[in-house]
Amino acid sequence: MNEQNPNPSTPPEPPSRPSGASGSPPRIPPASWTAYSGALEPLGANPVERTPIQGVIGAVEAILRQPRRVMFQMKQPNAGGLITSLLIIAVVCSLVYGVVVGNFSGAQQYWAAPLKIACGLLISALLCLPSLYIFACLSGSQARLAEMFGLVAGLLALLTVLLIGFAPVAWVFSQSTQSTVVMGSLHLAFWFVAAVFGLRFLHAAFCHLNAKSSGGFQVWVVIFLLVALQMTTALRPLIGKSDKFLPAATEKKFFIQHWLDCFSTDPAWRETPATAPRQDAQK
Amino acid sequence: MTEHASTMDVRQIGVLLRGEPEPINRWMQDWSAARTALYVAVIVAGTGLYGAAMGCWRAPLQGLYVAIKFPMIILLTTLGNGLLNGMLAPLLGLNLGFRQSFQAVLMSFTIAAAILGSFSPLLYFLVWNAPPMTTQASGVYPFIRLINVAVIAFAGMVGNVRLGQLLGRLSGHPSVGRRVLFAWLTVNLFLGSQLSWILRPFIGSPDLPLEFLRRNAFQGNFFENVLEAIKHFFS
Repeated sequence: MNEQNPNPSTPPEPPSRPSGASGSPPRIPPASWTAYSGALEPLGANPVERTPIQGVIGAVEAILRQPRRVMFQMKQPNAGGLITSLLIIAVVCSLVYGVVVGNFSGAQQYWAAPLKIACGLLISALLCLPSLYIFACLSGSQARLAEMFGLVAGLLALLTVLLIGFAPVAWVFSQSTQSTVVMGSLHLAFWFVAAVFGLRFLHAAFCHLNAKSSGGFQVWVVIFLLVALQMTTALRPLIGKSDKFLPAATEKKFFIQHWLDCFSTDPAWRETPATAPRQDAQK
Repeated sequence: MTEHASTMDVRQIGVLLRGEPEPINRWMQDWSAARTALYVAVIVAGTGLYGAAMGCWRAPLQGLYVAIKFPMIILLTTLGNGLLNGMLAPLLGLNLGFRQSFQAVLMSFTIAAAILGSFSPLLYFLVWNAPPMTTQASGVYPFIRLINVAVIAFAGMVGNVRLGQLLGRLSGHPSVGRRVLFAWLTVNLFLGSQLSWILRPFIGSPDLPLEFLRRNAFQGNFFENVLEAIKHFFS
């Protein structure tokens, strides 16, 4: 284990600044943005990054505010606890967001949607993990498979924590529309925004793995997005109602085909406003 | 890497994928049975898993057949051309022994097999999501075939890029390395394509019976078939 900060709660001493009212305002500690931009400062250069991350709450704080700390801790031999915490965060948050998704249709979707979202996310990550490791090796990285697994757990944790942030907005919209296409598009948009932040974390970590190029990582991002999108179709319905938990073997299709079918069958999109009277107008 | 250089430590595969010059050059000098066994194991596992994913769209039994046939093609190509590759290298200016040239070709196939193995969960997921082959869904069969071609081509290219880098380093002249690589590629493609022809089918067809080898497996050859296809296209 690397050298530890003797007093983890104490941040490094800031540079001296003039005192008194006329002095410059206190410096705001660097935000997590600095982990994603600028020159690649070696991980662990800041003593705070060497502070072990304790518990699930600590992991949530760290993944949001101190991603470099997560990256550094992931390289340590005893990173198992942190990886477990990140996985717990990912599962719990996706279950909670799944309840919001299932709330649109109610009934069995209250338990089916959370289960499918949590399982779908984990399976997508597991399917893509071997190729990420291979791309990392081809890029010259020295990363271990366990480290890559931990970083993917970090991606999932950040992605799902952000989804929890979007959950109230999604719930409000789900109360004001009957269209599965509208809700599906909205959830996809939220998922996409969350995925961008999650993938940015993973990219920053990838750059710290001595990778000579990020071309392989970019290809992997496309693969991951395609797999995750296809998972939403493979595990359908996530939003609408169905008497079956999963589609039958004869109903398999690719996600683009599924989306086109949804657009063509959804009443809100099939009928033009001029010919389709609003439901509340008929009452 | 020295501590696991002569063992079956799977971390050696990471070294191959990264193309680390120093340990790979050393491994070329010091032959090890354990390392060769590791390469063979990775080839069997990687191409076997990929073959299973490729064939299971037709039927699970077809997946099992392809899981056996795909590693066979790679290993038979390496063995079948071992002698020729070992002769071509010194003739083209690279003083490699038979064992070393065999080792180099095996390394490149190991890299390709590791890549194919890592893509096998993705291919299985794709095939699992595809409509059944019997429904003859338009566009799906060519799409899956295209994906297979793209993944295998990518794996093959990476394996050969690493092999080219190794040959360039061993010869000291990039042009010599390129010459040997081109010669090896030519003979490996020549034998490999014919072995693939004999051991067909891989993806399978719903209109033809499920079998390990076609009844006319040894009739005709790959190149005759390509020629026929070209003649048919222009007639």
